[in-house]
Amino acid sequence: MKASARLVVELDSHGNSVVRVLRSQSPLTLVPHRRVGPVALVHLVSSVTAPLGGDTLSLTVEVGPGASLDLRGVAATLLLPGSSGALSSSVVRFVVSGSVRYLPEPTVVTSRANHTAVVEAELDGHAELRTREVLVLGRSGEKSGSLSTLVRATRCGKPLLHQQLVVGDPAVDASPAGLAGRRVVGTELVLDAVDRAEGGGEWWSVVPLAAGGTLATALGDDVVTVTRVLDAI
Amino acid sequence: MLTALILADSRFPGGGHVHSGGLEEAAARGLVHDEPTLESFLRGRLLTAGLLAAGFAAAAARGGDLGRLDAELDARTPSPAQREASRAQGRGMLRAARRAWPHAQLDLLPPNPHQPLVIGLLVGEPYEAALTCAYLAVSGPASAAVRLLGLDPFGVNAIVAALPVQDVASRACKELPALGSPALDLLAEAHVRREGVRLFGS
Repeated sequence: MKASARLVVELDSHGNSVVRVLRSQSPLTLVPHRRVGPVALVHLVSSVTAPLGGDTLSLTVEVGPGASLDLRGVAATLLLPGSSGALSSSVVRFVVSGSVRYLPEPTVVTSRANHTAVVEAELDGHAELRTREVLVLGRSGEKSGSLSTLVRATRCGKPLLHQQLVVGDPAVDASPAGLAGRRVVGTELVLDAVDRAEGGGEWWSVVPLAAGGTLATALGDDVVTVTRVLDAI
Repeated sequence: MLTALILADSRFPGGGHVHSGGLEEAAARGLVHDEPTLESFLRGRLLTAGLLAAGFAAAAARGGDLGRLDAELDARTPSPAQREASRAQGRGMLRAARRAWPHAQLDLLPPNPHQPLVIGLLVGEPYEAALTCAYLAVSGPASAAVRLLGLDPFGVNAIVAALPVQDVASRACKELPALGSPALDLLAEAHVRREGVRLFGS
């Protein structure tokens, strides 16, 4: 299945963030909330079981100057293999002049899945972005499939964060220099002008990026422990 | 080739011996305590941080824009402790290099450069630069393990010799990698916060 969806949010003359373009294509179904206000709320609903091996999904999100978008998932994503064993892929691209919060639910990498996920964000001078990624290596008692995630965020063309994470190689997943045998890895990227306190514990940290912004990272054995760290920033 | 050998030599006075690449923190937590756990640590480190560093050494050797590469490597190093360790080792290497190779175009480097860029510029050939960097990504932590854990130096050396350092160097020449290692980043941050005696700077 090939699908592409597009969402454009702009500020209207009353100071409300309004959805100007909403183009869904199953399984990428965008459901806007009816309330009108300074922040537009849109849910991203997977309207077909996806992604399966062979699927190519693409979502483009543009948020204009002064506008704010809250884009949320409604359910965890299960990465599943297809019958052909082909790779599946998803690309989410943000072009932000205003402010975006992108909070999908966790992604579960089921056994034999083979998926590539890319999140790209281009921010202009004052744009803000908050995005979360929580990965679960396999369902309960299940071996993880393969997943490569890539996040690249730039501000006015300058790189802020560029991180690839590959899971599903048992030698690296188990290594104290890989994922240290933890089943759940979560990150929360916050790109704005706010200075946040650095902090950390045994398997979590909140740190400033070199060119501005904050990254929280947590490793754990369950989603609750990991998201608790991410919720705190 | 000779430059690569000198840079990879543990006697090179670039200050690399004070960095353990996360091994000290992993050993303090008991995550690395014998040869099998050391092998797992070194393999994970080589395939993530080692590949990343080697890719930037290769790109610098190929004549890439060093200022741009420095910013791209910063974006791929979210942990401030890891950025500082890389720049500290870059500084140390540069200090020794200025005396050893006064004609090298070291002024092309940005101030306070990341170590892979220094290696790339000095070695000048992409694969050799990548190989040097990939090897240093595991040889330093391996010798730290001998010092911290009292492991058998022959056994540790055999582990290093069996690691796929050449494969990683070849992959590093093909594209600019961006592989992160969450656990290494968290070990590096925890190491900075650790109170009490630390033998290593990272």
